[in-house]
Amino acid sequence: MAMKKWMSSITALTMAAVLFTGCGSTGGNSAAPANNGGQDAAPEKPQGKLTVYVGFQEDHAVAAIKKFTEDTGIQASMIRMSGGEILAKVRAEQGNPQADVWYGGPADTFVQATAEELLQPYTSPIAEKIDAKYKDPDGNWTGIYVGALGFASNKEFLAKKGLEAPKTWEDLLNPAYKGEIVMADPASSGTAYTAMYTVLKVMGSEEKGFEYLSKLHPQIQQYTTSGSAPGRMVGMGEAGVGVLFAHDVIKYQEEGFDSLELTIPEDGTGYETGAIGIIKNTKNEELAQKFVDWALSPAGQEVGKTVGSYQNLTNPDAVGPEKAVKLSDINTIDYDVVEAGKERQRLIDKWSVEVKK
Amino acid sequence: MSAMFKRFKREPLLPILIVLVMLCLLVFIVYPLFQIAKSSFVGSTGEVGLQGYQRVLSGGGLFHALVNSLVLAILTATLSTVIAYVFAYTFAYVKVPFKKLFNGIAILPVISPPFVIALSAMLLLGKQGLITKNLLGLENANIYGLHGLVLVQTLSFFPIAFLTLSGLLRSISPSLEEASQNLGASRLKTFLSVTLPLSVPGIANAFLLVFVQSLADFGNPMTIGGNYSTVAREIYLQAVGSYNLQAGAALAMVLLTVTIIVYILQNFWVGKKSYVTVTGKPTGQRRMIESGAVKHGLFTFCMIMSIAVIAFYALVPIGSFIKLWGINNSLTLDHYKYVFSIGQKAIKDTLTLAIVATPIAGLLGMIIAFLIVRKRFFGKKALEVISMLSIAVPGTVIGIGYILAFNKAPLALTGTGIIIVAAFVIRSMPVGIRSGVAALQQIDPSIEEAATNLGASGSKVFTSVVLPLIKSAFFSGLVNSFVKSMTAMSAIIFLISAKYNLITASILAQVEAGRIGVASAYCTILILIMIVALILLNLLVKWMGGKEQSA
Repeated sequence: MAMKKWMSSITALTMAAVLFTGCGSTGGNSAAPANNGGQDAAPEKPQGKLTVYVGFQEDHAVAAIKKFTEDTGIQASMIRMSGGEILAKVRAEQGNPQADVWYGGPADTFVQATAEELLQPYTSPIAEKIDAKYKDPDGNWTGIYVGALGFASNKEFLAKKGLEAPKTWEDLLNPAYKGEIVMADPASSGTAYTAMYTVLKVMGSEEKGFEYLSKLHPQIQQYTTSGSAPGRMVGMGEAGVGVLFAHDVIKYQEEGFDSLELTIPEDGTGYETGAIGIIKNTKNEELAQKFVDWALSPAGQEVGKTVGSYQNLTNPDAVGPEKAVKLSDINTIDYDVVEAGKERQRLIDKWSVEVKK
Repeated sequence: MSAMFKRFKREPLLPILIVLVMLCLLVFIVYPLFQIAKSSFVGSTGEVGLQGYQRVLSGGGLFHALVNSLVLAILTATLSTVIAYVFAYTFAYVKVPFKKLFNGIAILPVISPPFVIALSAMLLLGKQGLITKNLLGLENANIYGLHGLVLVQTLSFFPIAFLTLSGLLRSISPSLEEASQNLGASRLKTFLSVTLPLSVPGIANAFLLVFVQSLADFGNPMTIGGNYSTVAREIYLQAVGSYNLQAGAALAMVLLTVTIIVYILQNFWVGKKSYVTVTGKPTGQRRMIESGAVKHGLFTFCMIMSIAVIAFYALVPIGSFIKLWGINNSLTLDHYKYVFSIGQKAIKDTLTLAIVATPIAGLLGMIIAFLIVRKRFFGKKALEVISMLSIAVPGTVIGIGYILAFNKAPLALTGTGIIIVAAFVIRSMPVGIRSGVAALQQIDPSIEEAATNLGASGSKVFTSVVLPLIKSAFFSGLVNSFVKSMTAMSAIIFLISAKYNLITASILAQVEAGRIGVASAYCTILILIMIVALILLNLLVKWMGGKEQSA
């Protein structure tokens, strides 16, 4: 009997607590457990803590943030998301930014963010060393790494079909590759958009480019969501050929996918410029600028190669990974990041309607 | 009017409770949805118009994706409900060995992020699949597409149907069935004319739940959908990929409309019926089916299903120790080293927030179920619809909606733990409500009336009469909430922050990067956490007195 009474009072208490925590926050006086108070509104001390949205691989991100704190003594926390997610988040949070720095991911998305006035211009003293085509003239974003597109082929597949690895974009139209090619969906993946924009440039005009894309469409087994997934699928033998960044292919090879063969299209290839920018209305502008300075410095740029990121570095003083595919060794197109960013929406829509019916 | 006043005098807490619950739902469901509806008409430059809807419809892909989604959802929901019913029936009616094992297995698929099953499906049935290539020697097995999706979604979602149905079937009073059999009906006849009709609301609920889950699922279509586009995936691609929030929101509104129509149809069909089997008269134990073809048939079915599920799950822990599946099969601990060096914070955050969200979701679900089934008040239908709405909204959209809604004062919750807890609660509550409603519909109100007539207050009736009677539904709701929170993905992908990171987001990142080993290691840890939690919850139930006190 006593037990019963005790039980019912406990339940009643819990109910009250539930309704309080469940709804108490609606009054704005958040009293949730496991939360160290609503410090969103607290004024930042100068030795504050940075928050960084990272657009490249997680292991690289963790290593970079750790090194940054070692080098500067500034505390920073980070979260890794894809470029599209970061842009959507920054856009949605523009009234009350939750992060200070956007670190990594294709510059095309930074261009779009610039057009929407989501970034805070900052020209780092180190930025003048960086080639003009890898940075925004107004300092909204600055390039940190560059990586070319390539083809990943499965050696066993090639041997079975008696083929050589594809060397040009035209090669992908070979009937032997029907249903064997994987690339990502340009709508979700920066990598695939880079490939699409590249094809339009290589073919000489938008019209010819779209003709090519329409011919390529029946060759594609599937369009993946993420840009690097085709590398895994080809490595696993799920598909014959994948279109993705060379540095991702090298990373997969290093992780043990021995059956992967990397080729770079000889008729011209595009490349991604990975960028960094400061998010508008950050509460920690000074620290954010320090972070950008660090990320552009050799110390910041050379973290990647310690954790298997094989992009080329934009700072001429930084020593890039030995395995990286150097842009000077291959036939690159003139990849106009600004144009690519501006035309992005229109081209993706056109592709969705005309090609991917 | 005076009657209303009398009611208020007797139950002063009730109106306050109703207002509080309503407020919660308004703030955490209606307001974000309103924000999304608003966004669907507003472009990125602020112009108002129908461009979002126009883009959606001119793209041509939408209608296609919508049909695809509906086909998929119908197939998955039908299959899942049938399988779940057989499982639940075997559980409640048949004396079979390995009952505990079957139960565990039926719950297993809930406790890992769905796209892991998709990965296992690729490893088992893909081009390099263990089964397809190594056992059957098929050269070109293709798992991507509709058939793969149906398989993976059924495996992922039938446990939800099972949790809904098993509590219900166990609570059907044996006396009716005994009466039918004593009057000379065969077992089959009894099943068809007593058991099955009594379980119709449960079946409808299970079907509805799985249907909506399948519609809103985006993890599986992204992993294994191939070129079979679905609405949820298109929404994600629009909102996140093309950065077109307007088109994404417009698509979401279309999906929402479909779901609401389904819900209304369902409600119209089921809601008219009342099934009272718990009358307060003492009932005996059910006589179990102990032999015969029925037993063997059901046992074989459960066994085959279980083996299939085990096969899918064995891959995850095994894969977590294998260097590179299918390529380099040497054993390694590297993946765990990676997880413990990088994923510690995510594990801690996920656990903390899920533990906070679970009791809130469970109790809120039961309270709402109680209000819906037992109470008459102004706005009841609205409460019912709103509370079920959350499950209909694709998680990605809820996530964006939350960011839009809770980004400025007075509700600046972005980046806090509260917003994640709220998403957990809102996303997992509907299942609790459904099972609560299904359980409560079977209890004769006269029991509560008796307590009220004896002078018990409303809260006293709830705690000492209603709660004990719906205990099993309540605890299955708790388990489900915890599990759903631990494995939530689509909604929280937008809500995670540097302050709070979650395991599922990390797994998704690993899957995208193709590190199946690391993803499997995360999942193995997640599954271990779940198993421990389930054992603790079961102990708690036992400790609180598993046996009903008979009067």
